[in-house]
Amino acid sequence: MSEITLTINGQQCKGKQGDTILDVCQANGIDVPTLCHYKGLVDIAACRMCLVEVEKERKPVPSCTYPARDGLVVTTNSEKIEKYRRMILELLFTERNHLCAYCVASGDCELQKLAYKYQMDNTRYEYSWPDKTTDTSHPYIVLDHNRCILCARCIRVCDEITGAHALDFSKRGWKTNVSADINQPLGESSCISCGACFQVCPTGAIFSKASAYKGRTSECTTVFSSCPICGVGCDIKGLVKDNHVVKIESPDLTKPRGLLCQMGRFETLYTPAERVRTPMKRNSKGQLTACTYEEAFEDIAKNLGSNGSVAGLASGKASSESLKAFAELMDKGFGSKMVDTLDGDDFRTVTMGMTKFDAKAGFATEAKLEDILTADSIVVIGANPIKTHPVIGSYILRAAAKNKANLVVVDPLRNPFTFRTSVWVRPAEGKKALAIKAIIRAIMEQGKTAKAPANFAEIDIKKAAKDLEVDSHDLFQAGEILAGSKNGIIIYGEGVLQYKDADMVALILNLAALINTQPRVISLKRYGNSRGAWDLGISNAKSSVIDELAKGKVKGVYLLLADDLAESQSLADSLKRVEFVVAQASYLSPVTAKASVVLPSLLWTESKGSYTTLDGIQKSTVPMVKPGNDIKPDVDTLKEVARHLKKIRA
Amino acid sequence: MAKVKIATVWLESCSGCHMSLLDVDLFIVELAKLVEFRRSPITDIKDFDDVVVGIVEGSVGNEEEKEVVEQLRHHSQIIMALGDCACFGGVCAMRNTLDKADVLKRAYIDTPSTYKGKIPRSPGVPELLDKVYPVNQIIKVDCYVPGCPPEPEAIKYGLTELLAGRIPVVPSNMMRFD
Ligand code: SF4
Ligand code: SF4
Ligand code: SF4
Repeated sequence: MSEITLTINGQQCKGKQGDTILDVCQANGIDVPTLCHYKGLVDIAACRMCLVEVEKERKPVPSCTYPARDGLVVTTNSEKIEKYRRMILELLFTERNHLCAYCVASGDCELQKLAYKYQMDNTRYEYSWPDKTTDTSHPYIVLDHNRCILCARCIRVCDEITGAHALDFSKRGWKTNVSADINQPLGESSCISCGACFQVCPTGAIFSKASAYKGRTSECTTVFSSCPICGVGCDIKGLVKDNHVVKIESPDLTKPRGLLCQMGRFETLYTPAERVRTPMKRNSKGQLTACTYEEAFEDIAKNLGSNGSVAGLASGKASSESLKAFAELMDKGFGSKMVDTLDGDDFRTVTMGMTKFDAKAGFATEAKLEDILTADSIVVIGANPIKTHPVIGSYILRAAAKNKANLVVVDPLRNPFTFRTSVWVRPAEGKKALAIKAIIRAIMEQGKTAKAPANFAEIDIKKAAKDLEVDSHDLFQAGEILAGSKNGIIIYGEGVLQYKDADMVALILNLAALINTQPRVISLKRYGNSRGAWDLGISNAKSSVIDELAKGKVKGVYLLLADDLAESQSLADSLKRVEFVVAQASYLSPVTAKASVVLPSLLWTESKGSYTTLDGIQKSTVPMVKPGNDIKPDVDTLKEVARHLKKIRA
Repeated sequence: MAKVKIATVWLESCSGCHMSLLDVDLFIVELAKLVEFRRSPITDIKDFDDVVVGIVEGSVGNEEEKEVVEQLRHHSQIIMALGDCACFGGVCAMRNTLDKADVLKRAYIDTPSTYKGKIPRSPGVPELLDKVYPVNQIIKVDCYVPGCPPEPEAIKYGLTELLAGRIPVVPSNMMRFD
């Protein structure tokens, strides 16, 4: 890109072709105040704070949208410009109801900061005192129109980065408002609760219920960590005050995996259940009561030390370090081969399916999440990423909106992206495999047969459509769209894996091979560290250990749950025939209620740990807060159990 | 040197600004040597006489406050608005998005603790204005020290500048709206 030179405030400043005046100012350390500008979003010159004078221009121009040209002479700090800026601030303050003294944003507000900078100690205009509403319908976010300056940062981030486009302006002029969908309450809108709007809002117009009045940024310490919840692995910035996480933000919203979702950003600030605060064991009356670590360890060693059949089950929410120590305890401590993860069946289904398709295929051949952003077509099969892995949902929406990627959904269930979907093939329940076959056949009919499996030639699309209870037109259309695809990707999840059908996975890979030079597939794994557990070989059991428990042949089971509450009830039900259950967990749950011994476990916000994202990237958490009681890290607890087992055997 | 005469009034507000004025530490001793407080909630003098500086805490929300602040203007060479309520309307201005009749009804009739309430109407009770106003929308104001309450440091700055014969504008690093 060619270099250009501008004269700014009498100083020679270098910039690049394509820069705006604001870009050049910022690159040269010249301070220009802004409000609506946000790095990474398209500039719209809404707030007029960045006005500058340009030689030969009749009136001041907004520097954020004015293209920098070689030889431009710009003034950013003339008396006239500074006067205008102060005037704009006064207009903003009198337009809506800004009462800083009790505003949630006071101290963090960009509008307020500028008012200080321009020594705005009064306003010369009459206040409008508009009767504006506050929308509290959303579970995590409040939209307070009283404080809104109509900068549209929220609207742009929701559209450009989140891809949801849940927000926009409604009405005109004086009555303009930020609205969700067609003026719906935010809590009932298509908002996916990513919280990006809250992060970018310069004022107190959008705020988080859990963070409000808990502390200003200046009172908090900042901890950079990463979110281990869903397996996307977003980078996070935690703001901590008095050993409480006040707020979780993204260090850079515009970077890959910088978006965050409701689980990382908001749910982390709430307590979903009562914590396990101390070790517990059953007393003589059979009640679970608090005990010391020592008593708990001895109880475990006594009851399971000589028990032949001890099974181990781990949640993919535990860190890789905990999982490694767990595997060692099961192997060396209990001498058990009955070890599995709670999602072991998913692992077996995926790996078997991959091998059926190609003996050499493995998780390493799965696609990276960022491949979604460059795909020309995206097929989502039996998955609802907006719910389970929201950032992946955002990637899909962004690809569909920005790159006009074709989006084909194969699912009997409605997906929140229906509005961006090119074709929605909605097969009757349990008939996804046939739907995939029919789509492959439809692609073949478009003349793309080189890589197609031969036996698909027999499939009759019209007949299949009848069987699937779909319009055959949908299948043909899917074939037509996907036949033209060169860089397609397939995302599948729960709706496929629940059938434990490796053939379906192989079919998906067949389809993937038709829409890309390399089959590009992402399987949505259930837990944040599922991939880490699978890579460690913890799910290598031949068949599900949970199924073994139900048969009543297992005497004892050791559960490593971390903060997992997902399948708590069904897991508790499968423990009915097990004599002695040890649950190492962060929260009380139906499972701990069934346990003979309960051991406390730290949360990820309290501990250091490694996690592997669902596409194989290593991430780690950094402790943000100290745990309240003397709770041992998982690894130490597991090692202590191993030591006590050894002791009792010696 | 004769002491500089100052009057202060407490309008619609919480008195926090006057508290902050008394919170200037040792400067209060210095100040007492240089100025004489005339009518003020601090002295409890009720009548106006001519002063150099009139300091206003609070916004203007009823007929009496309007009258008081107009009289203060009449008697003062310089008016200083002290605190967010005086400068911008502040907390009191919360009622400005509501209808005056609704505000009265809420306060005197609807509150859960009120039994058979009625809105007081007697010559002794000043009428509410339709809205709560920052002082500069009622009288001419010469300088402002915002804050809720203002930082003692900012008050000290404002008074020192005035005593030196300059009209103060609180510098950015001392500005606070909360
Ligand atoms: S949004 Fe900012 S300027 Fe407006 S009241 Fe709140 S802190 Fe003050
Ligand atoms: S939370 Fe996310 S999806 Fe919802 S309105 Fe804000 S930016 Fe849009
Ligand atoms: S809600 Fe916040 S981000 Fe959105 S337009 Fe208003 S001030 Fe800007």
